Amino acid sequence: MAFRGGDDTYTMEPKDTIQDRVRARDAAMRLLNRLTAGAAVSAVVGVGLLGAIGALTIPGTASTAATTTSTATSSTSSSSSSGLQASSSPVSSSSSSGVAVSGGS
Amino acid sequence: MNDTLLWYTTRGAGAVSLVLLSAVVVLGILSVLRVQSPSWPRFLTVGLHRNLALMTLVFLALHIVTAVVDPFTHLGWLAAVIPFSSYYRTFWLGLGTIAFELLLAVVLTSLVRGLIGQVAWRLVHWLTYACWPFAVLHGVGTGTDAWSAWLFTLQAICVVAVLAATGYRLLAGSRDPLARERSSFLAAVDRREQR
Repeated sequence: MAFRGGDDTYTMEPKDTIQDRVRARDAAMRLLNRLTAGAAVSAVVGVGLLGAIGALTIPGTASTAATTTSTATSSTSSSSSSGLQASSSPVSSSSSSGVAVSGGS
Repeated sequence: MNDTLLWYTTRGAGAVSLVLLSAVVVLGILSVLRVQSPSWPRFLTVGLHRNLALMTLVFLALHIVTAVVDPFTHLGWLAAVIPFSSYYRTFWLGLGTIAFELLLAVVLTSLVRGLIGQVAWRLVHWLTYACWPFAVLHGVGTGTDAWSAWLFTLQAICVVAVLAATGYRLLAGSRDPLARERSSFLAAVDRREQR
């Protein structure tokens, strides 16, 4: 607490205590700023780091698409290598089931 | 921009948002408990709580924007605004939308606390206790990495921290010796301002 008498200011607490409080408050404000900045930097780094870990554990769409493409290519090549024999059998089975249905109706 | 980069950013920003939100909840509980020491005054807890809450909104915005603009997901902006309107994992994504909107309400009412009054602000602020579990459930239900060891560990740490702080809060009760007098005074001020 402080009060004024003329040009002088009188305090009821020792000046050291007030100075200490001001210093402690400034130190705490600096700590708050440092912690906030540290949290912001950590969060930005965290997004990159966790994204990278996520990419390593579960790869993204590009590699999935590449896998699908390679599978499709290999299946195409295998079907073409097997030639007419592979494609003729499903056609005959479907036509036979079609006859069975029409006969039933 | 590369689709996969957007997807990784969505996942990373989601995990970081959960960590930040958990830290905000823990700091909020510590501020209510009036935790302090000579090197850690009480206003530091409140200040850090406020700054991290604003930071959470920023990373949550990054999480949502990257998820919506990612052409692979086709989520659309409506799913980010209206809960349970997404075609993809409707329920779990809806929980995330609700959590975001609750957090937005909590932060916005905190910024205009002087205008809406103490009682209204406190009532809205209690929604944080609903927002955080919704966010955790959203991560578990929707997250691509939900059952990956690293994210599971991260989520477990967040859950344990918040549950420990909440339990301590319930056991310790109010640390404010003038809590009753203060709240009745603030309620009386609110009533007078409404007249």
